[in-house]
Amino acid sequence: MTTITLHPSNTKPISRLIIIAAGALLLFASCNKEENSNFTDTPIVEAYLLPGTDLTVKVSRQVPFSTSVTYSADEIDQIGMELNYGDNTVIMTPSGDGIYTAPGISMAEGDTFSLKFDFNEKTVKAFTYIPSKPDSMTQSVTKIYLSKIDSTSGFPGMGEMPEPVEISWSNPDNSYYLIIIENTSTDPEPIRELDDDEDRPAFVFRKAPTSNNRESLRPMEFEYFGLHRIILFHVLPDYAALYEQNSSSSLNLTNPSTSISNGYGIFTGLSSDTLYLEVKKN
Amino acid sequence: MSEKTKREPLKALNVFPAILLLLIGSHVLAQHKEYSFNNPGNECFMDYICYSPDGVYQSIKRPFVFIVGKTGETAIEAFQSDSVYNEAQFQHYMFVFLPGNKAGQQRQPRCIESLASLLTYNYYYGRDNLFLKLRDTSMSVMQLQESKLNTIFAAIKYPENSPADNETTTDQNVSTLFRETQIDYENYHRQIKEDGTGTFYVEDNKMTDNESVFEKAVKTYFGAPTRHAFTLSGMVKDRSTGEALPFATLLVKGTTNGTSANADGYFTLLKVPSDTSVLLVQYVGYQTTEVFLTPETPVKQLFVELAPLAVSLKTVTVVGKREDMVMNGRLEVATMKLSPKKLETLPNTGERDVMRSFQLMPGVSASNESSSGLYVRGGTPDQNLVLYDGFSIYHVDHLYGFFSAFNSNALKDVQLYKGGFESKFGGRLSSVTEITGKDGNSKRFNVGGDISLLSTNVFAEVPVGKKFTSIVAFRKSYKGFLYNKIFDKFSATSSYEVPREGGGMGRFSTETEVTSYFYDLNAKMTYRPTDRDVVSLSIFNGADKLDNGSAFSAAGFGMGNARFGSNSTDLTNYGNTGGSLKWGRKWNEKIYGNTLASYSNYFSQRDRTQERTTYNDDDEAVTTKTGVIENNDLKDFSLKSDYEWDAFRHSKIQFGAFATYFDIDYNYAQNDTSDVLNRSNKAALAGLYLQSKTKLFSDRLILTPGLRISYFGNTAKAYPEPRLALKYFISENISLNAATGQYYQFANRVTREDILSGSRDFWLLSDEKSVPVSEATHYIAGLSYEDNNYLFSAEAYYKNINSLTEYSLRFNPSPMGVSYDENFFSGNGYAKGLELMAQKLSGKFNGWIAYTLGEAKNHFDIYGDGFFAANQDVKHEFKAVALYKYRRWDFSATWVFATGRPYTAPSGAYTITLLDGTTQDFFTVTDKNSQRLPDYHRADISATFKLLGGLKGDKKRREYGYIGASIFNLYDRKNVWYKQFLIEDGSIIETDVNYLGFMPNLTLSLKLR
Repeated sequence: MTTITLHPSNTKPISRLIIIAAGALLLFASCNKEENSNFTDTPIVEAYLLPGTDLTVKVSRQVPFSTSVTYSADEIDQIGMELNYGDNTVIMTPSGDGIYTAPGISMAEGDTFSLKFDFNEKTVKAFTYIPSKPDSMTQSVTKIYLSKIDSTSGFPGMGEMPEPVEISWSNPDNSYYLIIIENTSTDPEPIRELDDDEDRPAFVFRKAPTSNNRESLRPMEFEYFGLHRIILFHVLPDYAALYEQNSSSSLNLTNPSTSISNGYGIFTGLSSDTLYLEVKKN
Repeated sequence: MSEKTKREPLKALNVFPAILLLLIGSHVLAQHKEYSFNNPGNECFMDYICYSPDGVYQSIKRPFVFIVGKTGETAIEAFQSDSVYNEAQFQHYMFVFLPGNKAGQQRQPRCIESLASLLTYNYYYGRDNLFLKLRDTSMSVMQLQESKLNTIFAAIKYPENSPADNETTTDQNVSTLFRETQIDYENYHRQIKEDGTGTFYVEDNKMTDNESVFEKAVKTYFGAPTRHAFTLSGMVKDRSTGEALPFATLLVKGTTNGTSANADGYFTLLKVPSDTSVLLVQYVGYQTTEVFLTPETPVKQLFVELAPLAVSLKTVTVVGKREDMVMNGRLEVATMKLSPKKLETLPNTGERDVMRSFQLMPGVSASNESSSGLYVRGGTPDQNLVLYDGFSIYHVDHLYGFFSAFNSNALKDVQLYKGGFESKFGGRLSSVTEITGKDGNSKRFNVGGDISLLSTNVFAEVPVGKKFTSIVAFRKSYKGFLYNKIFDKFSATSSYEVPREGGGMGRFSTETEVTSYFYDLNAKMTYRPTDRDVVSLSIFNGADKLDNGSAFSAAGFGMGNARFGSNSTDLTNYGNTGGSLKWGRKWNEKIYGNTLASYSNYFSQRDRTQERTTYNDDDEAVTTKTGVIENNDLKDFSLKSDYEWDAFRHSKIQFGAFATYFDIDYNYAQNDTSDVLNRSNKAALAGLYLQSKTKLFSDRLILTPGLRISYFGNTAKAYPEPRLALKYFISENISLNAATGQYYQFANRVTREDILSGSRDFWLLSDEKSVPVSEATHYIAGLSYEDNNYLFSAEAYYKNINSLTEYSLRFNPSPMGVSYDENFFSGNGYAKGLELMAQKLSGKFNGWIAYTLGEAKNHFDIYGDGFFAANQDVKHEFKAVALYKYRRWDFSATWVFATGRPYTAPSGAYTITLLDGTTQDFFTVTDKNSQRLPDYHRADISATFKLLGGLKGDKKRREYGYIGASIFNLYDRKNVWYKQFLIEDGSIIETDVNYLGFMPNLTLSLKLR
């Protein structure tokens, strides 16, 4: 460390020196270098194994953050994807866009399935099983009557809103269930008069995954009149995890949780039961 | 000093001649008293006589007449030859007869001045009743004019036919000239006391040279010293409020012999060279005071009273008068001190904040608006021990970290030890912030308050009798535009997107009224049963409450027989409660000790749930709660004792013992059925320390070696922490500092990264299994130059940190079940840097610039082999603070520049389509903290206008408040807080979430005194 003799006569130049030095440092500091994060071409698997549907697995690549990344040599549509179920193994058939099917496979309650393929010099593995079909699904009513709401009627008033529809089922082991409510028609009448420029609300809505044995559907949640399908899914924990908080901010970015090894996404079994509910106009 | 009899300066004369003189003269001059002033050989040596016509020698509250005899006359001869004292009007006066100049000798007139000062010590208004009759013609006119005797004496009668005689008034009659001015002595004295409190503004050009706002100490004794190398002890207080001034510095002028007062204002100065030395007493925000010791000065209980800086309304710069707001520790290494009173002149955002002000110092990071904890030299806020009146505060944030939990109106002193701190403190790896609360005005009742665009603040100081003082301060925010602006910025931003349930009729959701506020309550009661004891009880309570809940019931929609209801709670409530009871006692002049028992509680509740009441088949109401509940409760019970023993001339020994019991409960539950985390930790920590402040090489070298040993119950091990600090004065102004030490931390704070708003941290106690005791080693070296006008310092530091713990809570789903895995990752790190500071200490325009070059890196095996930049790593940081005082105005401007903090960018992202058709984005990461945010800079300005009592043109006007306006982030720089990522059109888009922009604030502050 050099010794600076600090005498009142030369303090002024010293402070000037410090300011100049600081300014120079600022200039250097403001040049930011663009750094690229390392990118690993880990594949994304998306598959919902629901009895009564075709077994389909979708594979895709991540969207990279940096503009210049090198992907692995593997082709998305040429993966040798193996599906094991029980004692059988079958190679899935690609049908383009990363979609692979295994036609003719029936999925029943309790069946286990596992997936295996190589990608980016790693073996991607996933396994799941079909959970039991929801048992004793009941609905409190099959029809509800709602008034049309337009600019003249205003807020629903006294005694006009029906009670919530109670859906219940048997859930002795507190596993996860999810309810999805879907309007069956392609152009249903909205309950609430929409403005000309307003987007149409979705035909489908859902409730949060629950480990309870009942759920209430509030009349206010319905957007359309007509016949609605009420689908109760018995889901596995890794599907419920998709609804957990996941980070999208630089303050707390961590890798998403997944049950797939060497891959991301979801490979999960489901089972369902369906009831119908009519929403009729008053 | 109370009323006294005439003091008899000690004589080195032979006693025998004196007795002879008395015996000879006694029967002739039965009623007068004879004294000597100084010793033979001293130029002001003289024998003088006091005579009181009414025989009363005790009182000094009366007119004095000094009579200087003719050339060659002794005092006795002057006494015998002058008979003015026989007049009736002079019966109650006091006459002092001085000998005239010896032939050929020229005794200076200032000797008369000195004697007059000595005899009328504490005689405040005696100037109107002090008279001089000069009969000695040998004093030249020039001497008389230069001596300014006319400023000491109300009237002077010059010798007849002397040149000076022609310039006196025409009225030569002594009776008229020496007429007493009647003064109601009692009331005048009280009025002076009354005027003495508060801060004053003076019109300097209206004051005569000899007047000052507060009586300046003057050298009154010119005699030989009677004592050498003695111990002086006492207390440093604020002259107007009586508050003890902790850590005030006392120096023997012209030497390097100095000491600091302790936390209660008591000091002991060993081996004071003589009882005529001069002490220089300094405390930030107060006038540096000189105390001229005399043989009469008490050596055991000397009360040194410092006056707050009075402000001059003149526009001329006073050079050499320090205007400190922040002071570098004069006798300590790496220490900074702040005056809470002076904070009102710095720009503020609704609240004067001590922690934010420390961010303007080198070594403390200023680019973090979302945490008011201090990041000192690359360390995190949980590595900074915050002590308030002796107990630890674990959470210092209000309003999402924008403000700290400390109300400046209740604070007396704040010190920051940036590193290498002494053995007295432990349990933290980086730094110590020691906050001392005010005791309360011991002389008069005081009340005051502030209101700003953010909060209101009110305080009261109530003394009861002479021994008891108290202070209460309360602060609460209100929902004005400023609160909303800060609140909206920091709470609404959410880092995660939870797929929203339902859809439907959004227009009919109930309006939720968000209540949120923060408050603080500080109270302290101090009782001084004797001059040696002080007992104080300090209470601290503050919390933030945020209530975003809503209640919805079908009844609200007009359904009488509603069979459901739903209650949505979104409640965040966190804060501190603490208190300490302390007993300090000065056992004898060398030993001071205090014992403290304290309790500190940090609580945090976060309840984001929905409560549904439904009816089951049996028509019973069933309430289910879904959502997240988080409860955090930390209790710290401590008992500690600290002693200072001024054992030897060159060594002050400090030792003590401490014991702390921790009880930490952390509970995180989802829905009311499942507990995700339930931790309950208890541990005991106890230990002792010993250190010695040793002065060597005639006080040029201050060496402080120390050892602290702690025993931690959870690991059943002892942890020795050796420390060493060194300060070497190369000259009176230049010093070299160095420090090194070992530090352990037994409780670490973990941040749950998945929650952005509300309190997101909890404290973890170390144990054998997953969380090791973290440790650090410090190395500090620096050089500083300081004189009355400037301070320059350079300091380099290196910290080596081991056994750091990172915590991650992973929700691990598998088809088989759900588990929450708590992962504790162990790693190590280092921080190093160089700090430079240049500060102008005096004059109307002052301030400082500070620059820090630093690096903080960590290594954790799970993140890879190399070191990655720590979250708080900032490479360059530059700060400039400029303060300008013009009459009643104070202007300040600050500018902060820091290079960007690191952040983790995603390496890739993907989208999953859920069963209901909605999509969810996910981001993957590879490198931790490999990117840098853009540079941070902002400027703040403020202007403060003092409100003064009295009328314009009055000589002296007391300050009773101020109006301040300040602007935060003057040029509305968009500083990036964090980045938000989104997948759009097959690529990842990042958007910046910025810190606060342009924010103006107005403050009105009023106080009684």
